[in-house]
Amino acid sequence: MNPAVWVGVVLIGGCGAVLRFLVDGAVSARLGRSFPYGTLIVNLSGAAVLGFLTGLALAPEEALLAGTAAVGSYTTFSTWMFETQRLGEDRQVRHLVANLAVSLLAGVALAAAGRWAGAHL
Amino acid sequence: MTEDCLKLTTYFGERHRIDGHFLADAQVDLFGRHGVAGSILLRGAEGFGLKHHLRSDRLLSLSEDLPVVSVAIDTRPRVEAVLEELRTVQQTGLVTLERARMLRGEIGPVALPEDLHEATKMTLYIGRRDRVGRVPTFIAVCDLLHRHGVAGATVLLGVDGTVRGERRRARFVGRNAGVPLMVIGVGDHAAVAAALPRLAALLPQPLVTLERVQLCKRDGARLAVPAAPPGPDPTGLAVFQKLSVHLGERARRDGRPLHEALVRGLRAAGAAGATTLRGVWGFHGDHAPHGDVFWQLGRRVPVLCVTVDTPAATLRAFEVIDALTDATGLVTCELVPAFRATAGNADVGGLALAAPPRAG
Repeated sequence: MNPAVWVGVVLIGGCGAVLRFLVDGAVSARLGRSFPYGTLIVNLSGAAVLGFLTGLALAPEEALLAGTAAVGSYTTFSTWMFETQRLGEDRQVRHLVANLAVSLLAGVALAAAGRWAGAHL
Repeated sequence: MTEDCLKLTTYFGERHRIDGHFLADAQVDLFGRHGVAGSILLRGAEGFGLKHHLRSDRLLSLSEDLPVVSVAIDTRPRVEAVLEELRTVQQTGLVTLERARMLRGEIGPVALPEDLHEATKMTLYIGRRDRVGRVPTFIAVCDLLHRHGVAGATVLLGVDGTVRGERRRARFVGRNAGVPLMVIGVGDHAAVAAALPRLAALLPQPLVTLERVQLCKRDGARLAVPAAPPGPDPTGLAVFQKLSVHLGERARRDGRPLHEALVRGLRAAGAAGATTLRGVWGFHGDHAPHGDVFWQLGRRVPVLCVTVDTPAATLRAFEVIDALTDATGLVTCELVPAFRATAGNADVGGLALAAPPRAG
């Protein structure tokens, strides 16, 4: 594989992480502090974008840069899990279940919708 | 040995930097250089300051720059020397000074004359892994205080500090046995005075401070409204007050943690600031000491919420706290003779020490 692609993964990956930080911060600041909306929006939007990119059927290196590097660093599984566990510690059982269920159901639906949109573009 | 001492407490953000170093580090370096008898750095769980920016460890994205609290105790000349240097570096946050009595080494019978209507706050500084026999010292001390009828005790774990003048900082890897931990107990004079000699018998070289407090509420029962301080001291220096609420992580208010409701309520009421500290063990009412257990979902640790403000604002804050703590919580009030809060262009109070009020 071309070294330039690896450098691209590093740089684009870094940008994805910064974008997550900004989106998460902006959403959390607006939508209140009791439910992890920031992480939810990040993961749902990431799922839709990754579905869309897959639907476009890009070349392998383009897919690596856009999918693994950009969307992979933008979305976050660990924060989703951590914030769910924190809701449990705070005895927010409804929020805990909602955080798991909405992320899973809406995430799969948005990934499918993104893929459909990409394929029909 | 009993000495008059000063307690220097500061509240600020953990990301706050001075010349490329964290202020928290710079402060404990300073305490170490001056060989301060006891100091401890505590990480807060939630809080806000003069600018009313709320920080909380509930969401990862809002958990940056959580509040930290540092406490340093020593004789007045040493604390004043520390403060002289601290003034040049700390440009933001809250700095307070309080009077206390410091006991170290051999602790004899403690006479606590003063106004019988007032209670006593006892603070013990020990190491994280200190043990009495096979029991962690902080658990043994909480049991002792509970047995002697002390109203409540909260154990707070430090991440850095000094113990008898030596720097003790928590490392990422290691047992961190010597890192300081503080046990705060509040109760009637008689109960604390009875517990102290037993405490001294348990520990080889205890470091304890005693302060006057007023017990305002316990288990939902209102014992007293924060007493108005006797106005500015003769030279016109203002006196401030500190309200502390000891409660449990389990306490709820409308399905949310009670300590969260307290911080929100105080913020909505325009308080100058509030900080929540999560303890590791303790009790705050008519129940046995408690903390986290191995297999659990919700946490069981004690929580301490603190707010410092002018006497008028303290009364308003007490109304907010009173309305929320109708079933649980130990609320105390203390005099703070020096208070300086800074944030951006805002600068409130000063660090000249107001004269102590005359008892009676």
